Amino acid sequence: MSLKLRAGLEQLSQIREYAIESATALGVVPSAFDDVRLAVDEAVTNIITHGYGGPGDIELDLTTKGPDLIVRLRDQAPPFDLAFAPPTDLSPPGERDNPGGFGVFLMQSVMDNIAHQATKTGNELTMIKLNVVRVPP
Amino acid sequence: MSDLQIGVSREEGDKAVTIMRLMGSLDANTQSTLEDKAREAVDSGAKYLILDMSGVDYLGSAGMRAIHAVTNLLSPDDPSMRSACLKVLNPSPAAAKVFKTLGFDAFIDVHDNINEAIAAL
Repeated sequence: MSLKLRAGLEQLSQIREYAIESATALGVVPSAFDDVRLAVDEAVTNIITHGYGGPGDIELDLTTKGPDLIVRLRDQAPPFDLAFAPPTDLSPPGERDNPGGFGVFLMQSVMDNIAHQATKTGNELTMIKLNVVRVPP
Repeated sequence: MSDLQIGVSREEGDKAVTIMRLMGSLDANTQSTLEDKAREAVDSGAKYLILDMSGVDYLGSAGMRAIHAVTNLLSPDDPSMRSACLKVLNPSPAAAKVFKTLGFDAFIDVHDNINEAIAAL
């Protein structure tokens, strides 16, 4: 199932909703919904904010492989590898004014595998969550 | 239009406490709504804040950056007291998990009862 749209931050709630509708249709267990919602939101926010620097074309695709959920995001923004994202700083408020790196940290904490690939036209981000799809006996 | 609404009220007790009731999603699209509303309250004299998150259906990293920014508006004369001037009330289990994953629970108290939150300020 896939969604293609020109997305700005105003579309975040619509994209989160689509991700959960797709996950539901694919047989993902409800206990994984919060993690999927969070990972998709963080990834799309990064694409809009850091990739395009504003609204841009995004394709969101959810599929399954056995009991695993695979979430793919494609964009046409300049190549950006999450491996080069700024490190997470969890210092308390008062010790720094402008915290960063939270998004990638959260994505990594709720998904089992995250991989970035530069494509001819932009980026493809693949996030996998293991053992969350109901598989018929 | 923002899909985050914020109602503001004040409890006058030993300390004047400003309660901000958040309804909707706290994400990159709405983080400035919270920051702006909190700045408005602080400019009007608010020193102690409670963020009532019972109505927040989504909290992401941008929302946490907003909470961080709100904390930094408080106690301008003593930065070490900033976290003590803010309490969070009734986050959903998903929001509480984000709070904990990013380590915010180590310096901002989370309460499930408003009287306890007020008493803790």
